[in-house]
This record gives sequence, C-alpha cells and structure tokens, in this order.
Amino acid sequence: MHVSVDPEKCCSSGLCALSVPEVFGQDERECVVLVLTFEPPAALHDRVRAAARRCPTGTIEVRD
Amino acid sequence: MKSSPLHFPFEWPAAAGPPEALVTLREEPVVRVTLPSGDEAFLVTRYEEIRRVLSDPRVSRNRDRPGAPRMTERKTKVFQNPRIDRDPPEHTRMRRLMAKAFTATRVEGMRPHVRRVTEELLTDLLRRTPPVDLLEAFAVPLTLRVICGLLGVPPRDQGRFRGSLDEAWRYMGELIEAKREDPGDDLISALIEVHDEDDGRLSAHELHVWCVILLLAGFETTATQLGSGVVLLLTHPDQFELLRGDPALIPDAVEELLRCQIAGHSLSMLRLVTDDIEIGGVTIPKGSGLIPVLESANFDETVFPDPLRLDITRVNKQHLVFSAGPHFCMGAALARLELQVALEALMRRVPTLRLAVPPGDLRHHDSPLDLGFRELPVMW
Ligand code: HEM
Ligand code: SF4
Repeated sequence: MHVSVDPEKCCSSGLCALSVPEVFGQDERECVVLVLTFEPPAALHDRVRAAARRCPTGTIEVRD
Repeated sequence: MKSSPLHFPFEWPAAAGPPEALVTLREEPVVRVTLPSGDEAFLVTRYEEIRRVLSDPRVSRNRDRPGAPRMTERKTKVFQNPRIDRDPPEHTRMRRLMAKAFTATRVEGMRPHVRRVTEELLTDLLRRTPPVDLLEAFAVPLTLRVICGLLGVPPRDQGRFRGSLDEAWRYMGELIEAKREDPGDDLISALIEVHDEDDGRLSAHELHVWCVILLLAGFETTATQLGSGVVLLLTHPDQFELLRGDPALIPDAVEELLRCQIAGHSLSMLRLVTDDIEIGGVTIPKGSGLIPVLESANFDETVFPDPLRLDITRVNKQHLVFSAGPHFCMGAALARLELQVALEALMRRVPTLRLAVPPGDLRHHDSPLDLGFRELPVMW
C-alpha cells in the first residue's frame, strides 16, 4: 500500500491523525496533514483506508 | 424540477423523527425552495452530489455580494462579515492558524477535563428532585464549560453571552483586551500571540470574528445534539439497553445518533453559486442560492441501507452532520469527544433515565431557525 496526500486540500481537521497516529501527523505550524510512513504495514491497512474515506476533504489517496 | 416551491427549512415534528418531506426529497436531485427571507434557493438532495458540491470552488460560502440569497432578513454581522473572506484560499489560511487548538493530541488531552466536568454536573443533577430539564441542567453547562475552558473564558463570565450575538461580540472584544494584558494557557491567548507577531497573518478584526464564531459554534450545537441523542435513545429502548450493556459501542453509537439527529436542519449551509454548475442534469445558474441538505444526505438510502432505522451497530458510516470540504466543522473531534463522554457517564450514573413527558409532548423551538428542543424534562 502507498499513501499520498494533497496538502493544498487539507482543512487541518486532524481526524486522520486521531484515528491512525502511526501513519498520519499534523505539522506544527498549520496543522496540515503529514504522512509519517508512506508504506504502512499490512496490519494498519484497514484503518488507513477508513481514514482516507473519512477525510472530509478527500486529501488522502491510497494505492494498493 | 418541481415548480411550486416548498418552504425551507422544513419543520421538524416532535420526537417522531425527520420531517415527511425529507423522506421523499431525494426523488429529485435538485429541489427549489423559498427561504424565510422570501428569497429562493436550490436544495441539493443526494449524498454524492452534496459531497461534490461542498468541495466545488464554484459554490461559495461568501454571500456578501449584492443580490445574494439570504436565509433571513436579519443581518448577522458576525457570520457574514464583509471583511472576512469565507472562501479558500484566504479562509483555509485562517483555519490553519486556529487548527492548532483542535489538533488530535490537544483534543484527546481534553478528555480528562471533559470527564471531570461531566461527573460534577451529574453529581449535581442526581441531588435534584426530578423532573429536571436535562438541557439546562446538563447538556448546556457541559458544552459551555468545555468551550469556555478551551478559549479561556473565565467561569464567572459564562452567562454573559447567552442572549445575543451583539453581547457575544462586545464581550469577546473586552476579553481579548484583558488577555492581551494578562495571557493564559488558552486558545485566545495563543491567537493573540499570532496576531501580535504582526506579520499580517491574523488581523485584529479576524481575531475578534473567529473568537466569536468559536464561542457560539462551540456549545449550542453540541448541547443540542446531546439532547437529540438522549431523546433518540430514550425512545428506542432496545438501542438504549444494547448500549448500556456494552459501552464499547459508544463511539459508533454517537455517529449513528448524529446521523439520525432530530434537532433540525443545519442552518449555516446556504451557499452562493458563482458560476453555472450542473447537478444531476440540472443547470443551476450563477447567482443562485444553493443548500446542500446534510440531513438528506444522512438519510440517503444508497449509502445507508434502511436509513430511517436507528441502529447503533451500523459500521462504515460517513454521515455529513459536520459537513465536508474546506468548511468541515472545526470542532468535530471535540464535539465527538464531548458526546462520547457525556453519554457514557449518563448511562452509567443514571441507568433508569427516562422522559418525564410522553415523547409526543416534546416541542422544538418555535422558529425553525433555532435548533433542538425547548426543554427536555427527564426523571430517573
Ligand atoms: C455536534 C456538534 C456540532 C455540529 C453538529 C456542528 C456542525 C457544523 C456544521 C454543519 C458546520 C458548517 C460547515 C459548512 O459550512 O460546510 C460547522 C462549522 C463550524 N463548526 Fe461545528 N458543529 C458542532 C460542534 C462544534 C464545536 C464544538 C466547535 C468548536 C469548538 C465547532 C466549530 C465550528 C467552526 C469554527 C465552524 C466553521 C468552519 C468553517 O467555516 O470553516 N463546531 N459545524
Ligand atoms: S483528515 Fe483529511 S482534512 Fe483532516 S487533517 Fe487529515 S488529511 Fe487533512
């Protein structure tokens, strides 16, 4: 799995970081999404997919 | 498209569930309505299209333009402020300045505080003789104390802005001045610091406007949804019992209670179409008012099978109570936290909670522009 984001779209909701802190963070200054691991381990795949679906701005893209 | 315009917002019947009109609304992708101001607008009714519209740059939240549709005749100077651009990229810049207060870690860090306030209020509640109005005794003080704690509004002032927008506006001006002299570990002080760095990132006016928005957006909505959730549970005893027996269901239950909410229509959704746009084969001309009806999305049968059924074990729901796109509710994580903590504690400490009036006697506020129930008498 490969995770990518389009930071321009992100509305800094923090939802992804709240649900999968292993994979998503927020930058210090503007709280824009940060990807901490672009290739998350299999055990996290379901949660990463759910976070991508729930992202209110469609910022997160997941490729298998 | 229907030719005789309906009136919107729809009236919500008492605790019985959503308005009749909401059940059949999605037969048409776009429905024309008349607003309380007399202006017309188009409702967007289906889930996928609502999501799309919410992120479409041709659909603007900034209605401060001549001829733009109005919800009411009343001017609300804070929420439609000529000097505040409510569209990206300017809007996104502002949000990112404030998002610090709502980061995942900061919100999670508030859990112990929310728990403490909840337990205190329930201890007080249980000392009283029922029936008690759960809104005034619990939901409102809880959500008010939480947002005031976050912003840095001292407890002694917490009654000072319940009356009107003007009062809130004036109060916040004074508070910002006071915090400038004597900053604390709170959001307003943090924002003042950003402003005083004076690199043009946050003007004094923007600071004032956003503090008022946070204050007002922060408690009534959450208190109203807590009330709605409690009524839903008390009128669906099987769901109430299920949840009481398994508190691990709380997070999912909160999402389902929000999806099925019976407080009313979200009123901040009126948008302006700034360029012709096509929705479900209908062209909406530039200059029109457009309302993505979140409550309709949440009952869209193509996304939520058997949508009218309250089922706290539903999984995979992405309801739109908090909207979506660049205006997605900034307080969503905080509101969820408050609802989770409040419901868990309420069921644990008041397990015999029940309505003190027949559900049919619960009344919404007279004006559809005020959400929620007038009061929520309960006993135990
Ligand atoms: C269950 C409770 C809540 C509900 C149902 C709710 C719902 C909403 C909705 C529907 C919007 C409009 C989004 C749009 O225009 O597309 C909104 C915006 C907003 N909400 Fe909430 N909200 C809740 C709680 C909160 C809390 C606790 C806070 C603050 C701490 C908050 C702060 C805001 C702010 C600042 C905005 C404006 C965002 C923007 O325009 O970018 N809300 N909320
Ligand atoms: S959920 Fe989406 S909008 Fe929210 S912080 Fe993550 S990427 Fe940004």
